[in-house]
Amino acid sequence: MTQDRFLGLAAIALAAVMVIFGYGLQAPFAYEPVGPRAFPLMAAAAIAVCGIILVLKPGEANTEEGSGISRPILILSGCLLAYALLFQPLGFVLSTTVLMVPIAMVFGASWWQGLITGAALAISSYLLFDKLLDVILPVGPFGGFI
Amino acid sequence: METLSYLAHGFGIALAPTNLLLAAIGAIVGTMVGVLPGLGPINAVAMLVPVVFALGLTPESSLILMAAIYIGSEYGGRISAILLNVPGEASAVMTAIEGYPLARQGKAGIALSLSAWTSFVGSAIATLGIVIAAPLLARWALAFGPIEYVALMVFAFACLTGLLTDQPVKALLAIMLGLGISTIGIDANSGVYRYTFDSPNLVDGVQFATVVIGLFAISELLIMLESMKGGAAPRIEQLGRPLFNRAEMKFTNAATMRGSLIGFFVGILPGAGGTVASALAYTTEKRVVERTDPEGSRFGQGDMRGLASVEAANNSASNSNFIPMLTLGIPSSGTTAIMLGVLTLYNITPGPALFRSQPDLVWGLIASLFIGNVILLAINIPLVGLFARMLSVPAWVLVPFIVVVSTIGVYSGKSTTFDLVLMVALGVGAYFLRRFGVPMAPLILGLVLGKILEQSLRRALSLSAGDVAILWSSPIAIVLWVMAALVLLVPLLMPRFRRWREEAITEPD
Repeated sequence: MTQDRFLGLAAIALAAVMVIFGYGLQAPFAYEPVGPRAFPLMAAAAIAVCGIILVLKPGEANTEEGSGISRPILILSGCLLAYALLFQPLGFVLSTTVLMVPIAMVFGASWWQGLITGAALAISSYLLFDKLLDVILPVGPFGGFI
Repeated sequence: METLSYLAHGFGIALAPTNLLLAAIGAIVGTMVGVLPGLGPINAVAMLVPVVFALGLTPESSLILMAAIYIGSEYGGRISAILLNVPGEASAVMTAIEGYPLARQGKAGIALSLSAWTSFVGSAIATLGIVIAAPLLARWALAFGPIEYVALMVFAFACLTGLLTDQPVKALLAIMLGLGISTIGIDANSGVYRYTFDSPNLVDGVQFATVVIGLFAISELLIMLESMKGGAAPRIEQLGRPLFNRAEMKFTNAATMRGSLIGFFVGILPGAGGTVASALAYTTEKRVVERTDPEGSRFGQGDMRGLASVEAANNSASNSNFIPMLTLGIPSSGTTAIMLGVLTLYNITPGPALFRSQPDLVWGLIASLFIGNVILLAINIPLVGLFARMLSVPAWVLVPFIVVVSTIGVYSGKSTTFDLVLMVALGVGAYFLRRFGVPMAPLILGLVLGKILEQSLRRALSLSAGDVAILWSSPIAIVLWVMAALVLLVPLLMPRFRRWREEAITEPD
C-alpha cells in the first residue's frame, strides 16, 4: 500500500468521525438558516473527497525515504510525551533536567553533555520565565524550586 | 498626502524606545533563526506566540517583534546556504545554487555582503510598495461584506491549492483539516458545543499557541532527527574579501531590480511566499542572462546575478506578504497567518477595516519594516562572521532549548497537562502528515480563516434566508469566483505552467 493510499484512508476515517460526532449538532432554537452543524459537515465532506481521490489516484510512492518509523523517532516522541505528562507532577526544574538528557542523547550528546544542557536550561529558564517574566511554572513535589 | 502623514505617525510609534528595541532584538534573533538549519521563521514565530503574551506586549509591539524575526530570518537563511550549501530555511534553497560555488571560489565574503545588500534593496522596494498599494487596496476592500468575504477566502484557498504544490489534493486536505480544527469549541452563534467530547479543556476551542507550536516547532524536531547527518562539524569556507566593490554592484543592479519586482508581486498572492518568489526570480534571471549575455553566463557555477536576484526576490516577497494580511485579512504565508492569529487573540478582527480602526498598529508595523531592514543591513554586513559561528551550535543543545521554550509557552496559556499532551500529539501527527507530503502552511491558514469564513458564510446566508445564490450576487464576488476558478483550471490546461511549477517548487514556507 502506498503512502498516499494510507493517507487517503486516514482522511476518510477522520471524516467519518467528524460526521458521526457532528451530525447531531443542532441548536435548540434556530435564529438563522445555517445552524452550527453545516460548516463542520462541509469540512468533513471535503476531507472525505480528498481521501477518496488519494485512495483512487495515489501519487508515486516516495522511494527515497524509508517507509518504517525509525527507533530514534519513537524514542524522541516518547520522551516528549513523558515530558508533557511529568511537567506538572515533577515540577519544571526536575522534569526538565531529567528528560532533556535522553532528548539530547538522541541528537548525539553523551549522557553528561545532556545532563549539563538539561540542568543549565532548567535553571536559566526557571529564573528567566518564573522570576523575571512572571510566567508561573509548576513547582516540584517538595513544594519549592525542586 | 494623507498616506505620508500616517506614515510619519507610524514612524513615531516604531521609533518609540520599546518598539525600536523589539525591532532590533527581532532582527538579531531572526537572523540567528534563519542561520540555524531546521529553525525557520515559522517555527520561531510560532514559539513566540505565548511569549508576547507573557511579556504583556501591546498588539503593535508584538507584531513589530514578530515581523522583525520574520524578515530577519530571510536575511539569515542565506548565510548557511552560501557558506555550507545548507539552506537555513526553505526560501534559501535557490540561494545555495549560486552562493555556494562563489564561496568555494574564495568569494564567500563578497557573496554574503552582496546578498545582504540585494536583500535590503528588495525589502526596501517592497516596503515602498506597501506604502503605495496597501491603503488603496484597503479602501477598495472596505466595500467588502460577508458575500465578498466568502468569495475572497475561496479565492485564497484556490491560490493555495493551485499555485503552491504539485499535489493540490494534499494542500486542500490541509486547509480542510485547519477548518475542522477551527470548529472545535463552543459555537458563537448558537452556543452549541462542537467536538468538545465533554472535555472542559476544549470548550473554548484549541488554544492557538498549542496548535502552532505543535504543528511547527515540535514536528520540526522530528524532521530534524530524521534528516540529521552524523559526523564532524561542517567545514566553513574562508570568507575572503569582506565587501563587494562598485563594479560588482553595477553588474548585479538590473538583476536585483528584476528580483525585487518579481518578489513583490509574488508575495502579494495568497499562498506564494519567498520560496516561490526566489524560484521564479532565479529561472527568470537565468533566461534573461542566457538571452542577453550568453558568453558571460556562469549560472550554476557562481553567477552573482543569480544570487542577487534570488535574495532580492525572497526578501521582497516576505515584505509584500504583509499587504494581503493588513488590507484583506488574508495571510499569504504560514508565518503571516500566525501573526493574524495573534491579532485575533488580542480581539482585533483582521480585515479591511484595520486601516481605519487600528492606524497605530498598521502604520507602526509598516514603519518598523523600514527600520528593521536598515538594522538588518547594518548588522548583517559587519557581523556575518559571528552569525556564521551559530552554525557550530550542536543539535543536542538546540533541540532541548526548543522543547523547553515551546513547552513553557504552551503551558503559560492555561497551565494544563492537557495542552502539553495535545501539543506533543499534534507535533507527532504533523510529522506524519509532512512525511506523507501534506504541507502545514495551508493548514494554519485554514485554521486562522476558518472562523471568519464560517461567520461570513452564515451571515450571508442569513441575509438571503438560506438561498445560496446570494454568494455570487455582487460584481466583486463574481470576479473573485472567476479568479478562483482560473487559478485552479490554468495549471490543468497549461502543461507549460505545470512544468514550471514542478521545477520551481520544493516546500512552502
